Amino acid sequence: MKNELRWGLIILFFVLIAYILPYTLLTNVTKWYGSFFVWIILTIIVIGINYLITKNWGKEK
Amino acid sequence: MSTTLVWSAITIYVTIAIVIAFLSRTGKQNNMNSYFLGDRKMNGFVSALSYSATTYSAFMLVGLAGLTYNGGVGALGFELIYLMGVSLVAFFGPRFWKVGKKFGYVTPSEMLGDRYDSKAVAIIVAISNCIFLIPYSAVQLSGVGYLLQGVTDNAISFSTGVIIATALAIFFTYIAGIRSVAWTDSLQALFMIVTSTIVVIVLIKGLGGFSGFFGTLETKYPEYLTVPGNGFFSFINFLGLSLPWFFFSLSNPQVSQRLYMPSSLKSMKHMLMGFLIFGLIYTIVAVIWGYSALIMFPNLENADMATPLVLQSDLVPPILGVIVMVGIMAAAISTIDSILLTLSSLFARDVYGNVKRNTSDSAQLKVGKFVIPVIAALAFIFAQMEVNLIAVLSVSSSAGLLVVVPAIIGAFFWKKGTAAGVISSVVVSGLIVIILELMQMKPLGLASGLWGILISTILYITISVMTKAPEEKAKSFLSV
Repeated sequence: MKNELRWGLIILFFVLIAYILPYTLLTNVTKWYGSFFVWIILTIIVIGINYLITKNWGKEK
Repeated sequence: MSTTLVWSAITIYVTIAIVIAFLSRTGKQNNMNSYFLGDRKMNGFVSALSYSATTYSAFMLVGLAGLTYNGGVGALGFELIYLMGVSLVAFFGPRFWKVGKKFGYVTPSEMLGDRYDSKAVAIIVAISNCIFLIPYSAVQLSGVGYLLQGVTDNAISFSTGVIIATALAIFFTYIAGIRSVAWTDSLQALFMIVTSTIVVIVLIKGLGGFSGFFGTLETKYPEYLTVPGNGFFSFINFLGLSLPWFFFSLSNPQVSQRLYMPSSLKSMKHMLMGFLIFGLIYTIVAVIWGYSALIMFPNLENADMATPLVLQSDLVPPILGVIVMVGIMAAAISTIDSILLTLSSLFARDVYGNVKRNTSDSAQLKVGKFVIPVIAALAFIFAQMEVNLIAVLSVSSSAGLLVVVPAIIGAFFWKKGTAAGVISSVVVSGLIVIILELMQMKPLGLASGLWGILISTILYITISVMTKAPEEKAKSFLSV
């Protein structure tokens, strides 16, 4: 439960970043490595976190 | 695109899919658990592909590509924030799965009804799901109609397209319930992702490779690489669009019901991870598709025309174009058949099973099977009619389904939630969403979904606090 809360907050953090960064720092970065790239990277990070959360599913429970 | 080519491709697709559907017939399918949940024995690979095919409809290569065409990179952000929201499965998936197994739930609304100790909760949630999802299916059906009409220059009529899609959806559902849906979904998911990825690679190559492609965007359409960009994705619009979808994996019964099906938590892990990777690829593909349309056909009045035009462009060889067209059709049908199956289980289990007393499992299954073509017929009729309310209900489906989310979260995390809280939050905020969409109103600039979730959360909590919670139920449910 405690672990879950930690992971939940970490994901929430990255989701907030996904809302904030493109609308602040990146509003004038008209390049592929602007919002386009950042959103993809953030998603890959969140997918990685999902991997960590589910890593032991089916083993311990 | 030649009509013969289109018909041949459709025939091949239908033949293969029917064979797969028949091959999927294992088990007895003579009870609700078997017909609608595959005996809770789905393996991870099929679950992942089927979850993907069910989630991603014709919306991706038509609607999301269109959003990119209109507003630029914000479309990517919107869809990827949705994808991040599927992380909710990492938290709610095992919980759904465990209570489903322990208490034998077939539908998410049945689970809510039992958890809040109220038949009315199950009935109302089930009906509200139907109200929003039948029009949504109708729009998917008409999507197939427009697509076939568009790529064949009216040689295949709108109605023919809709009839084909309806017939296939009924067929895939009927052969073996969820088993035929899941297996044909899997085939269609692979087909969707492989063909569309190939086309996007072809498009990027044809438009000057990665550097040429983005070079053109950076010089000619710089505002399409930022938000708010041309203003289409103002922050408030972006929030209103993305937030309802963030909770999609919980709010939409055709996907949340999937959480009961994996054979083990290991299978569920594979389902989640497989879907996330599929979703990331498919989203990038759809957005690049939209960008390609922008570069090739910059001045379209209707962005929905972008996809048929790209498919017929010189850059895409006709054979490939027609294969991708079938891929888009498959995307629509694999979404409709899953919704069809889920809604019929909701009707049989939660409406019929609760309104009529002491119904047996086999009687519910009979009703469920009877309802499948009825719901399909309703969607078919809606698809043919140009009724404002249906378009409105479809557009507001994500917002309208969202209002159940507080009740779902509360079921697992808040002992004090009550049936009165659930019913008032679902009914009142559901109606508010419909009224706002119907009147095209955005009070304080906020979209209907934001009002829906806000009001439903407030109602759920305040009414629950004022009424008496089913303590015993809550205790046994939360102890799982």
